Amino acid sequence: MRGSDNYLAQHLLTVGSGLVMLVALGMVFLYAPREAVMGDVQRIFYFHVASAWVGFFGFFVTFLAGVGYLLSGQRRWDVLALSSVEVGVTFITMTVVTGSLWAKPAWGTYWTWEPRLTISAVQLLIYVAYLMLRGSVEGREQRARFSSVYGIVAFVTVPLSWFAIRWWRTIHPDILTGGDQMAIAPRMIHTLLVSIGAFTLLYAALLSLRMKLEWTSDELIRMRLKLERRSRG
Amino acid sequence: MSSTLFAAYAVFWGLTFAFVMSLWARQRRIQQELKRLSETFERNPPAND
Amino acid sequence: MSFLRKLLAVINKDIAAEMHTREIISAMLVFSLLQLLIFSFALDLHAAIAETVAPGVLWATIVFAGTLGLNRSLAREQRNSCIDGLLLAPMSRSAIFFGKVAGNFLFMVLVEAALVPLFSALFGVALFRLSVLLVLGLGTLGYASVGTLMAAIAVNTRAREVMLPVLLFPLALPVLIGAVQATGGLVSGGSLVDVAAWVRVLVVYDLVITAVSLVTFGYVLEG
Repeated sequence: MRGSDNYLAQHLLTVGSGLVMLVALGMVFLYAPREAVMGDVQRIFYFHVASAWVGFFGFFVTFLAGVGYLLSGQRRWDVLALSSVEVGVTFITMTVVTGSLWAKPAWGTYWTWEPRLTISAVQLLIYVAYLMLRGSVEGREQRARFSSVYGIVAFVTVPLSWFAIRWWRTIHPDILTGGDQMAIAPRMIHTLLVSIGAFTLLYAALLSLRMKLEWTSDELIRMRLKLERRSRG
Repeated sequence: MSSTLFAAYAVFWGLTFAFVMSLWARQRRIQQELKRLSETFERNPPAND
Repeated sequence: MSFLRKLLAVINKDIAAEMHTREIISAMLVFSLLQLLIFSFALDLHAAIAETVAPGVLWATIVFAGTLGLNRSLAREQRNSCIDGLLLAPMSRSAIFFGKVAGNFLFMVLVEAALVPLFSALFGVALFRLSVLLVLGLGTLGYASVGTLMAAIAVNTRAREVMLPVLLFPLALPVLIGAVQATGGLVSGGSLVDVAAWVRVLVVYDLVITAVSLVTFGYVLEG
């Protein structure tokens, strides 16, 4: 993301994702019908599902970038992996918080070990650990190597955790979450799809901003080295 | 409109806004430092090259 | 040297070092006993509730004590720059990985060998059964496998002791769920068939995580 062409593309992406987000928001409140059982609270669902999906997608990108880094050793893969985790953590935090807000009117409690909510919380913990790991390793090359490995292994455990949690919930049936079924109208599906599209665009916009930040910070490090080298003669 | 719904959408916008602001603040700090260093670099010509 | 001979060499080295210092097993063992004491008071553990709580307590004890052993085992390599020596030796990374996993597995199993009779005696749950021991073995194997990889990373960080549990616990979740559920089902009178789903979780986790750890372990050492 360097150069003035990219500068334009960057702005188009940022503005475009903002516009599509507004469209999605309008659809959530004006286009989608009021759900019969849950009422207006159900309108949380669209952005909640979209952020969960995009968060998970962000971690998948980190997994791929981790593989890319280990195979090639190129800095850009590490920049991509790190940026994707930061954006993913932002989105998955939204998922967990709004899921807990949703749980209150739906099931009468702020937290339930509902599998989808639980796996989001597990992912949040995993990728916060990823960021802590990065903060705790000396040396850029070693940091990139370790976090690539962690990003790969972590992502592989997510589906395993998902199945384990789901079976665990079936063994301890949760009466609270029994009434989960809602009647899905076509307009709801349209709204959900546009929301997911909007969040994906927002992901791309935030990702490219975060990557740009990392490249600028690289430039700063190079400049510091240059000055240091010269002052030493 | 329920307050839960309002709170949830406040969370979506709030977190997005917070993340963008953190990106902006970090970007600005780095760019200022970069500018300062490059000015230092221009001002002091190489000593004994 | 064949692969097996190299593997045994790594394990022998770990055992010899442990025979000499006894730091890993003794630390894990004492720590486990302390945890048992804490859990007994914290949960007011007595025979009446033991059947529901014991599997969770047992695995929590194993998981926490395990981090101690894993950290020590890999820190020892790092402190003495042993890894460099191993890397210089004509030895594949997979032999080093399997050797370390086997060593850690062995240490954890030895601690469990002391824990199981103690648990059976204290809480009156029947753990001395082949099926329970199988579940213990499968759970410990998966945990030692991903734990060895994470410990190899954690010992190279600034906050090493803190870093290992933070990295490891969320990844070891499937092992913990599977092992606690399987042990619980067996303790409350079920047979292996009744807990087959959980045993399958453990087996799949062991296979997948060992494969992924094996592939990525070389990248952790290199550099």
